[in-house]
Amino acid sequence: MIEYILIVLAPVFGGVLYGFERVVRARMQNRQGPPVLQPFYDMYKLIDKNSSIVHPMHIVLAILHFITLWAVVALMILGYNFLYVIFLHLLATIFIILAGFSVRSVYSHVGSNRELLAMLAYEPIFILIATGFYMINGSYDISLIRQEDTQILSMILLFAAFLLTVPLKLKKSPFDACEAHQEIVGGVEIEYSGIYFEFLYMAKWIEYVFVYMILLLFAGNNILLGVFLAIAVFLIVNLVDNSTSRVNIVQTIKIIMGIGLTLSCLNILGLSYV
Amino acid sequence: MFDLKKYRKKSPWILHYNAGSCNGCDIEILAALSPKYDLERFGVINTGNPKQSDIFLVTGPVTYRSRERLVELYTQMPSPKVVVAVGSCTCTGGVFREMYNVEDGIDRYIPVDVYIPGCAVTPELIIDGVVQALDILENKTKELEDAKKLYKKPTEKEGVLNLRDSALKVGEDEED
Repeated sequence: MIEYILIVLAPVFGGVLYGFERVVRARMQNRQGPPVLQPFYDMYKLIDKNSSIVHPMHIVLAILHFITLWAVVALMILGYNFLYVIFLHLLATIFIILAGFSVRSVYSHVGSNRELLAMLAYEPIFILIATGFYMINGSYDISLIRQEDTQILSMILLFAAFLLTVPLKLKKSPFDACEAHQEIVGGVEIEYSGIYFEFLYMAKWIEYVFVYMILLLFAGNNILLGVFLAIAVFLIVNLVDNSTSRVNIVQTIKIIMGIGLTLSCLNILGLSYV
Repeated sequence: MFDLKKYRKKSPWILHYNAGSCNGCDIEILAALSPKYDLERFGVINTGNPKQSDIFLVTGPVTYRSRERLVELYTQMPSPKVVVAVGSCTCTGGVFREMYNVEDGIDRYIPVDVYIPGCAVTPELIIDGVVQALDILENKTKELEDAKKLYKKPTEKEGVLNLRDSALKVGEDEED
């Protein structure tokens, strides 16, 4: 029963996390920042605004993106197969890429291209993380991974590779070239307005929940370690976001693929010899 | 059912457009958004996307080159929306008034809700103006507001819509 309540509350939790993050980022810059519930105020405002539609399929793809992401988080909470979860998340990303290509705006196309490239960079790392969990626990089942003892020391390189993908996934500096406000005006989200933009906005919150749930998998059944990892990664990601500038998409791919993929491959090799 | 109208005030997203300004006011706007003055504490985000904005901050006297984009940006913004004229040039033409290549202020073309004087305006005045604009935004209707003068219906030549030709020349009547 508690799982279903968590599933329903997942976007709300993501929204609070997003609002809290904006406050933390503001405090790091020595300013007050918006209220914690700011994302929800944005949501109510977006519902109230007029909206223009480019074509119906564009809207449908955004809603599908949101629903698929929610399903991904739901399956993670229910403890399904980790590999399936990653592939379903891939499908959600593909929906938003298709939405970006389905309109005539050049910025939308650029955003979609970059999203596609980013996906090529982080997807192998996610799959190798799943492989790592399989080699240690003998199963892809998330419910089983959660019950086992934590193996973060033997997966430390995979964890480092995962840390590299967190800013990319959450659209944070230095890897926020996919969204790049003011440069390509939000990329794929450029043609959305009003309540339809709301779906993309909420999908962003759910993305937070997804990333932090993968992070919690590294902690296994050790709840204290999980909380510590979540807080540490939250602070590190925001510190890096505040103190670095954007790198372009080619550099992003080079860094993520060059460092991240190498680290995770090394870890998998190491695990296979133990 | 709670009233959604009051949340307009809490999350104003800004679109900033330079209609031929000398960049003085633009720098002050960016200063107001920066950590020192912290406009973000009112929930302001500088979106740069007309389709997701509520407040239209315009700087500069409207040059002939920029007026078509000005009206196009204004019409792309979904209602309810408010327009804030930032700086003397935007309000009246300022030092460029009655020059051959500028229009005297943006209110010849789009309806303006708040005028912020100053050359260049101070960040404090910008914050004051934006906060005043929020009160106006709360009471706005959701009906589409038409741009005053420059906008005319796109012409159709041989079955092809010509959106580029939507600007009226100075002195040309709206009926033409």
